[in-house]
Amino acid sequence: MPNPLSVITPALELLGKNLNILPATGTAVEDLQHPDQDEIDDVLVHKEMDKDVTAFAEEPEPSTTNIYRPTPPLPRAERHLFRFFLDGSLRTYFLATGIEGTRTFPIELAQIGASVVTRDEHGHLSTLSSDLKVLLLVPKGARGVSDSVWTQLSKVQPPGSVLQIVDFDIPDVFGDDKKDPRDKAGGKARFRMHEMEAELIKATDHLRSEDSWLIIDGAVKLGDFISAPHLIGVAKSFSKEPQFYFGARKSEKRDVTTILAALPYAHRTMAFKAYDGKVAFWYVRMWEQKDLDYPLMGVVKVELPRPDRKPVPADLADLLSRALVAERSVTPYGLDRRWHCHIYPIFMAEQATKNRFFSQQVLMGAIKWPKPGAP
Amino acid sequence: MVNESIQAPTQVTLEKNGAQTPGKAAEAPVGRSSATERDPSTSDKFNFWLSPEVIVNPFDIVQVGQVAPDNKASKTYGLVTTLEHRTDAPNHLANFISSNFGSLAEEPNTPRQGTTIAKVNVLSNNANVYMPVPNERVVTFADANGIEEALGIDQMELKNRVPAGLISMSNGASAVAYIDRRYVLGPESAHINISGISGLATKTSYAMFIIQSILQKADDPTKIAVIIMNVKQADLLHIDERGPDLPPEEKEKWEKLGLEPKPFEPGKVHYFLPRSKDGIQPNSFFPPSIYTTYAYDLEATADKLDLLFSDVSDPSGTMESIIGDIMIGLQGGQADFKAVRSWMTLLYGPPLFDPTAKKTVRLGDHLGSSVGKFRRHLRRLVHTRQTGIFVESRAINEKVLSAEIGKIKGGHVYVVDIAKLADAEQTLVFGDLLKTVYALKAEAPEEGEEEVPDKIIFFVDELNKYAPSGAKTSPISEQVLDIAERGRSLGVILVSAQQFMSAVHSRVTGNAATKVLGRSGSAEVLQPDYKFLDDDLKLNVTRLNKGELLLSHAIYRQPVKVVFPKPAYRQQQA
Repeated sequence: MPNPLSVITPALELLGKNLNILPATGTAVEDLQHPDQDEIDDVLVHKEMDKDVTAFAEEPEPSTTNIYRPTPPLPRAERHLFRFFLDGSLRTYFLATGIEGTRTFPIELAQIGASVVTRDEHGHLSTLSSDLKVLLLVPKGARGVSDSVWTQLSKVQPPGSVLQIVDFDIPDVFGDDKKDPRDKAGGKARFRMHEMEAELIKATDHLRSEDSWLIIDGAVKLGDFISAPHLIGVAKSFSKEPQFYFGARKSEKRDVTTILAALPYAHRTMAFKAYDGKVAFWYVRMWEQKDLDYPLMGVVKVELPRPDRKPVPADLADLLSRALVAERSVTPYGLDRRWHCHIYPIFMAEQATKNRFFSQQVLMGAIKWPKPGAP
Repeated sequence: MVNESIQAPTQVTLEKNGAQTPGKAAEAPVGRSSATERDPSTSDKFNFWLSPEVIVNPFDIVQVGQVAPDNKASKTYGLVTTLEHRTDAPNHLANFISSNFGSLAEEPNTPRQGTTIAKVNVLSNNANVYMPVPNERVVTFADANGIEEALGIDQMELKNRVPAGLISMSNGASAVAYIDRRYVLGPESAHINISGISGLATKTSYAMFIIQSILQKADDPTKIAVIIMNVKQADLLHIDERGPDLPPEEKEKWEKLGLEPKPFEPGKVHYFLPRSKDGIQPNSFFPPSIYTTYAYDLEATADKLDLLFSDVSDPSGTMESIIGDIMIGLQGGQADFKAVRSWMTLLYGPPLFDPTAKKTVRLGDHLGSSVGKFRRHLRRLVHTRQTGIFVESRAINEKVLSAEIGKIKGGHVYVVDIAKLADAEQTLVFGDLLKTVYALKAEAPEEGEEEVPDKIIFFVDELNKYAPSGAKTSPISEQVLDIAERGRSLGVILVSAQQFMSAVHSRVTGNAATKVLGRSGSAEVLQPDYKFLDDDLKLNVTRLNKGELLLSHAIYRQPVKVVFPKPAYRQQQA
């Protein structure tokens, strides 16, 4: 059986013939993910957001004296609200250092994928749609390969194949701040993964309704704003930068940690306004604090797109939050350190994606640089 | 983009009742083979995950596609040994925490991902390919033809097929488990041994069923004679009488097996019942209307005195020596024993006893004390503790059992009742029968004597009494071992039963080409005698229901679970 990743061979041969290649130890080295990648994503996605939150995005207008509302769990048996769950995953590998003239740059490979799973009336999950791509990440231009090599690379990319050759020097929200070119390549892969996630939302377009919602893992602003109805973004880990101001006086400023530390179990905060009302967001505590190690454990951030900039009705935010609290059962405890704020079907969407990735053995088998001096 | 299912949505319609519809059940997939890094497929084993809604049980026979030479396809058959449900919870704590830290009221919003894994022992491949089953092959229930291929029944000639039970599978399909006559009656191998807890294992019923099956499917039943020992109640004292009408499901089982639900042929069953103390009625529960009474006088017992003393402790061999001398004296008509005509004269007259001095005397080299021990035991056995079979002289209607069995005829069944006899008496009768049958088959018939049947099937329950495990042997155990090891070549077939296989001499059970296990205790199945069973299957033996048996046959690669019909003859209980 041929190696399913052999599609990459012509590109590697081409690079090997035109560049000096210093291969990575052991053919490929998997890049480790940052332990707080979700939080970093949240910071990067919302870097344009005003860190000072000054207004509610909820109607009726909440009182500033009590910003918490009870949201007891609403089990699926009572109302099956969330039926679709979307998450992506990626793995990046350092393949080699390429040298062309005086330019030195990393050559990276990434597997990116995303899946939407759907949950039936009995709670059983099945994959509604999924996608998988292998990215060969090579910089182009002043910090990468020459124009002529890039042109040749573009020609060896088979149309419609799982392989995409990507210039990771093109700016994007995840790679712009990165100094290390390997981090930049990783950022590019992450950006492409989020694009894939955004694309997969379409698979649920005709299926979502006010009784059938989609949960996206993370923010609802993946590069651009997502404006599709009946979906929320749920972030397990989020930026601690926002400062909350209620009232005119500066002394009323509260930071997110203080607010969440006081958030009772099965309660939500009021919905806050972001991006001038295009997004409403609030926090929900899914687990009792007494059972967890830190006050911020067991809290998720919920984002709801409001393309019309209208405040979210309190009842809707309550409903979504209640259904979300019920999602705590079952948890991936022992499988994921973020179990206390993970939603199991999202975890399964991630697993469905990861299980489709090519194994390390397949990857190793496909990466063959031409031997120096070979014709 | 692709669309696929995390859980295969295949629904399988189960055929709940009725016989196998050829090809129908085989088309319904039940799951796919699964080979992992830690749990690979091998030439002997593979695993498969079950589609939700599918029911599979241990002992179901499944089939899976496999390669074959010349790019052809073949089928690998396997026996499900155990099933386990696995989830992605790495430990029980994960489940506890998922239920909101142990809240019993918490219902899972999303059931945890899990699947049932069936573990399978490979039975066979129809192209003799024993490559490991690859990953993700569709697994289906084997159909009736598949079961035959799986067990090697298809290789048996039709005339050699003996129905030994029905294999019933979880999809409602069933098939006949045939055993090979050549491995039951010889010449390849022989003997059947049945084990299991009393009352639950239905050992006697199965033995009678298999004997009927052998007789009904025999080319020429007149060449087979059967001797049956009735060891409890009146279980086997009315086997030629029709019992109450069988329920339809039992009739159906007979029909599926291709057998006729009928009692043993009237007129061809002979009952031998022991004499009672008063000599008027036989010493039996619910005697049949026609029977023969048997009794033992000294003359008829002289050549088997050793059997009578089987349970007497004799570490130094003194008793064995004395008994040997006395047997020679009695049989050889030595001068000293001329006056010995009965048990009384043996016990209270010369040469063992001096009636004048009223004391035991020396016998040859044997001390008086040793002779005294012999007398004490003999007195206990034939006088004080006897049930009535030992007589000073036999009445006309009280027959010598060995003489009667000596007239054995093919196509006839001989039931010898020993249910009410004392243990030593039972041993004597059983040994007497074995010795007689062995002699009949070992010695060529003299001119004018009736031909001895080709095969003599000998059924005995509670075999552990006669051939217990351990190195120590006795005259009776040696007799049993002789039959177990050489009976095949002589045409003497032992169908034996006992509660615990481990309590029987391993050379007897080891020589049985067909082993049948009913419900047994967990401590019992962990004994070395059950090494032929996979560990997973051992646990299943402890869960067998009444009437369910595990059948291990010489040509099967794995034992199979069978059921069999209730007997059509009258089962009389006290």
